[in-house]
Amino acid sequence: MLSSLRTRSFVALALLPAVLIFVVFAIIPIIWSMYYGFFDWKGLGAAKFIGFKNYEMMLQDPIFWRALKNNLILVVSAIVGQVPIALLLALLLLKNSFFNRIIRSAVFMPMVLSTVVVGLIWGYIYNPQIGLLNQVLETIGLESWTRAWLDDPKINMFAVSIPINWANIGPYLIIFIAALQNISSEVNDAAKIDGAVGSKKLFYVTLPMIWDMVVVAIVLCISGSLKAFDHVIVMTGGGPAQSTELLATYMYNNTFTVYRYGYGSAVSTMIILISALLIGLNYIITKRRS
Amino acid sequence: MKKRLTLVVTLITLLSLLVAACGGSNNTNTGGSNKPAEGGKQEKVKLTIWHNFAGDDLRAQAVRGLIDEYKKNNPNVELDAQAIPVDGYRQRLSTVAAGNEMPDVFFVYAGSQSQEFFDAGLLQPITPLTEKYPDWKGNFMEGAFDRFTFEPNQIYSAPIGLSATSFLYYNKDLFEQYNVKVPTTWAEMLTAIKTFNDNKITPIALGNKAPWVAQSTILGSLADRVTGTEWFLKAAKGEASFQDQVFVDALGKFKELVDNKAFQDGANSIDNTQAEQYFIQGKAAMMISGAWTLTNLAASATEEQVAPIEVTTIPAIEGGAGQGGTISGGPGAGFALSKNTTGAAKDAALELIYAISGPDGQKKIAESNSMIMYNMDLEQSNVSPLYLKAFNVVKEATITPVYDAYLSAEAAESINNGLQEIMMGGKPEDVAKKLQDAQARSTQ
Repeated sequence: MLSSLRTRSFVALALLPAVLIFVVFAIIPIIWSMYYGFFDWKGLGAAKFIGFKNYEMMLQDPIFWRALKNNLILVVSAIVGQVPIALLLALLLLKNSFFNRIIRSAVFMPMVLSTVVVGLIWGYIYNPQIGLLNQVLETIGLESWTRAWLDDPKINMFAVSIPINWANIGPYLIIFIAALQNISSEVNDAAKIDGAVGSKKLFYVTLPMIWDMVVVAIVLCISGSLKAFDHVIVMTGGGPAQSTELLATYMYNNTFTVYRYGYGSAVSTMIILISALLIGLNYIITKRRS
Repeated sequence: MKKRLTLVVTLITLLSLLVAACGGSNNTNTGGSNKPAEGGKQEKVKLTIWHNFAGDDLRAQAVRGLIDEYKKNNPNVELDAQAIPVDGYRQRLSTVAAGNEMPDVFFVYAGSQSQEFFDAGLLQPITPLTEKYPDWKGNFMEGAFDRFTFEPNQIYSAPIGLSATSFLYYNKDLFEQYNVKVPTTWAEMLTAIKTFNDNKITPIALGNKAPWVAQSTILGSLADRVTGTEWFLKAAKGEASFQDQVFVDALGKFKELVDNKAFQDGANSIDNTQAEQYFIQGKAAMMISGAWTLTNLAASATEEQVAPIEVTTIPAIEGGAGQGGTISGGPGAGFALSKNTTGAAKDAALELIYAISGPDGQKKIAESNSMIMYNMDLEQSNVSPLYLKAFNVVKEATITPVYDAYLSAEAAESINNGLQEIMMGGKPEDVAKKLQDAQARSTQ
């Protein structure tokens, strides 16, 4: 009894610094930001309490809905892009050969690059006059396909989502490889004896064994896509005419370009709510499936 | 029981450490510069200065040089100079403004930004300098202090530049090659655009990814020619509406440029510097841009590239209420003094401002091929030929207001996005309405 109490208090004590830092630098700012969301505040001068007015304005602003839609495009592209590609690569690159390790590092590399660098590189690739993409299309005779990729509001959101997916596959690849390596060899042997090979093995043995990790990956995709910001701010800045605005850039522009701190705080609170909602939804759906 | 006590004690110690750590940093932040003056000049003074001359262009080098010189001449001042890249500067400054932790001396834009800082009580006047150096104040051009005078007889900054935002740069060789007349009227402009398009040359290079570019360089001058200056000043004050037909017509002129394919494809996704490169490589015949392009070209282009470049004003518009031959612009930014700086630190800070904005400073800045609002004789051999051409254009021209210096931040954002919208096929009426709504909302 005494020793378990001692262990427990030791655990509490050891966790304390981390918890304190987390509370001071994550929880308290979130609460503050929720609080500011109820004010009409320019960041300078006096703040005026206006209740839920900021939220009302937000829901009536078509740009907010466009930003939300763009974010959902990113979420979907992350879930149907990043997760399956990472899983496929993980299955292919599972063995620890020299060649596989090189490919793994190559896939992981954009993750190590600064997002600003990734944004600039892709900005040049998409450049309508000197961009690599248009030049390649011209060389192979698809001149009619060339366009100003980041300019045309019909396609620029998809153009933007490609580099974001490209840069973010790395960590999922590592997660999946670790999960696959964790499947004990008995399970694999048993599957082999029972005649489960190929896609049968994948869907009835491998995937169920790593399903928890897939769920984690999807949660990470959702939260990562909802706070996506840096690639977009570098490539388009949310433009032209706010056609690639995301919730985070919408929040940033309102707060720091237009000086509506109160409104910006309300938007960031909304991001948290939407994020929680989507993750909850994902939890329910994947729970039922397993 | 004893265990719990230890736990509580540890907890309290940890908490107090944390609080102490947070409190401590706050103290050093404000305490250093707030020390009251005692005794003579030799007292150690701590100063911080923030500016956005982080780049490699000549002007940035000149200003950094002036700051370094001040450092050398004032060994008793411990100067912490922060060069923050232009794109993030406004945000950084408004972030510290929100926390009332302004640096002692900082670079502030004329117009709405400095007005907002003044309204928030973050600035103190630099008038003591004008009392100490009356000649200096007298040498500024007319209107130089207009946007820095928030109350009678007090000035809050001295401009170290004239921001002329709308020159028409053109490539003489291309105009000669295709036998095009340099446009002085709107009809000639449209003819020039057509001829260059027929010959697969981009008529006007534009990099409008950061959406202020089209507004600041093109719309200001273009709209002034259609609406006249008076109407705009009224509209900015709320006495006229941006939905007035005359402003919709002005936006219509911009749309005419877009519809005639005056700008290269994808102008909304490349930045201003890339557009400058495109223009200087002879791929575009014209570029409408501010005085900063002079500086950028002087720093990056070769002599042969610059030789065919000429400078003029954008063409007059027949039937408009405004005159031709004007340039949108205004007093540029200057250095301002934080309210929290007092005593010896204040004296040192004022001298620092004078070291940069005084006669010697203005001369160094002019010699970096930048426009200034300070009258002086310039050695022709000390500046680039392109700069001299522009300098002569400015001497002849009337300066008209730049839109975003008079609009609220929200309204400026609205028209910036609106111009991008027009470039993507939007209607002038809708853009005018959004601008009017934004301006009305933020001035009510």
